[in-house]
Amino acid sequence: MTFYVIRRIFIGLLLLVFMSVAFFALTRVTPGPPFSTGENPRAHQELIDRRLHNLGLDKPWWQQYPAYLNALAHGNLGDSYVYNQPVSKLLMERVPNSILLLGVSLIFSLLIAIPLGILAATRQYSKVDTATSVASYVGISIPSFVLGIFLLLAGAVWLRHATGGTFYFPLFGMHKSNNTGLDDLAWHMVLPVISLSILSIAGFSRFMRASMLEVLHQDYVRTAKAKGLPGRTVNYKHALRNAILPIITLVALQTPQIVSGAVITEGIFSWPGMGLLAFQATVTRDYPVILGVVMLVAALTVLFNLLADIAYAVVDPRIRY
Amino acid sequence: MADQPLKKVPGSTGYTSMLGGSAVTSALTAEVELRGAAAAEDLVVAEVAEPSEVGFWRLAVIRFLHHRAATVSLVILLFIVGSAIVLPVFQGELYRIQNYRNPYTQPFVFHARVIALPVGLSVTVPWSDHLLGTDDLGRDELARLVRGARVSLTVGLLAMLGYIIIGGILGALAGYYGGWIDNALMRLTDVIIAMPFILVVVAVTAAFGGVSLTVLVLVIAFLGWFEIGRLMRAQFLVLRESEFVQAARALGASDYRIIFRHIIPNSLAPIIVSATLGVSGIILLEAALGFLGYSIPPPEPSWGNLLGQYEEALQLGKTYLVAFPAIALVTTALCINLVGDGIRDALDPRQR
Repeated sequence: MTFYVIRRIFIGLLLLVFMSVAFFALTRVTPGPPFSTGENPRAHQELIDRRLHNLGLDKPWWQQYPAYLNALAHGNLGDSYVYNQPVSKLLMERVPNSILLLGVSLIFSLLIAIPLGILAATRQYSKVDTATSVASYVGISIPSFVLGIFLLLAGAVWLRHATGGTFYFPLFGMHKSNNTGLDDLAWHMVLPVISLSILSIAGFSRFMRASMLEVLHQDYVRTAKAKGLPGRTVNYKHALRNAILPIITLVALQTPQIVSGAVITEGIFSWPGMGLLAFQATVTRDYPVILGVVMLVAALTVLFNLLADIAYAVVDPRIRY
Repeated sequence: MADQPLKKVPGSTGYTSMLGGSAVTSALTAEVELRGAAAAEDLVVAEVAEPSEVGFWRLAVIRFLHHRAATVSLVILLFIVGSAIVLPVFQGELYRIQNYRNPYTQPFVFHARVIALPVGLSVTVPWSDHLLGTDDLGRDELARLVRGARVSLTVGLLAMLGYIIIGGILGALAGYYGGWIDNALMRLTDVIIAMPFILVVVAVTAAFGGVSLTVLVLVIAFLGWFEIGRLMRAQFLVLRESEFVQAARALGASDYRIIFRHIIPNSLAPIIVSATLGVSGIILLEAALGFLGYSIPPPEPSWGNLLGQYEEALQLGKTYLVAFPAIALVTTALCINLVGDGIRDALDPRQR
């Protein structure tokens, strides 16, 4: 076990180095250097060139890379070109916002999807089941940006007109200016959380239904029913415990995505999270920020996959590495 | 594939479609009838009542047709694909013809139009110059929508072809031979799957210096084949150890023969299902890229970049300019997903 963990950590580190090379090269070979997309069209080319030279960006990427790897190994992600701030500071600012938005939406969707999936599975082919199936098919077919646009339209525009401006949801951002109250924050979260949740509710409830059905068809469940246990006990005590395990795995493996944010939803609702940061960084060629986001997500993924595998071994004594 | 064993035909339990339980019994009776009919034919011809084999694919088609939602979806989908192929031929350059005098024409506005018939008669019909209205530059929205369908569907199908080729080969190698290629594939996919996929596609297409249909398809194909690859690997892992493969190996069959004659035909069902569902995923991805402005550049329309102009359209209250591409996109994705569900039920009834 110890040897396995050490080996996995080693492989994980190799993978991270590989990712850093790949994305470092990718950002550098992309046409259009930094500062070329800035707001100032009259910026002197000499000035831009000097800045590029000072940052070492006029050299080919394989000559720039060792310095980056060296800094990375010392925990230094560099400074953003656009914000003129350390990338680590930017990440520290943005990560909590994304965790808040995506975390709340994950919990919200699990709270709805799991009971829905169980209900659909225990009453297979009932009206509830059919309705859930249809709804989940519609849910997975609506992309988040379509949903986002129409939620924005309905919640912030139509509702405002309909109620004469007394009751509506805010259009963008996390806070009204100078208002940092929790109620204001929650109010701003309603629309983005709904638009993020629909898709995951559809996905999770289908997954839960399939997993529950699989367990319900197993012999031990039939035995429990044959013993004369009430259906409620069989469903919720015997079957549910095993059926919910795959969902837990799924959620655990999705955790890194909470940190990486939601590019489109954050964009539509101007939520200052990681997705928006990464997208803007890609547009403005803010290399250190792009790499910082990528490396953070990659490191977390490697970590969570390792933790999941170790957790399996701890929970299930049959698994040995 | 006609020699698929009949044991694929489900027993009375476990086989059911996800939508509409009543389809179960009718599909089963249809199968029984079909087999009965075939057996009766045999009786006449050979006078021996041998259990006749109805081909696996024929049964699959019958099961599919009994999945009502899937059948309806297939018809709608064929209609969409048909109009995407046929209509642009008649419309020609209509999608890019600008008319500054009538931007934002409302949709579904009809006027009477007199059409002269050859025999000197004439009829008056309700007519609309721009059935779905016009956009900010006075371009016909219907023509743009239909033209956009071409982009979406082409990208969806071609990129999926790429997934199958890349994912199929690498997944098969990893599953069959295992070892370092398997390890590398698994660890790499762990990380790529967690990446914000859209961002990676944006960055990579930018590296090609501008988006074209070819670049878009290639980039999506090279970045998105992991799911098919993993599925293929899982199939190979299971089938490699199965008894019929062991038997083939014991008889001295080569790796080539085992892979292509024994494993691949048996691993097709889940791949086909996943590929079908994947097409809708790619279409939504292309739309998301277009929405962000990183798909096919204007004036070429795609559903994504039509939707991407939502801010201006909504500020001016032209909701229809957002609604039509949204409806087209969601309908297509929904139909593909339902067809995928139907295919799943038809090919592998044991999976629910």
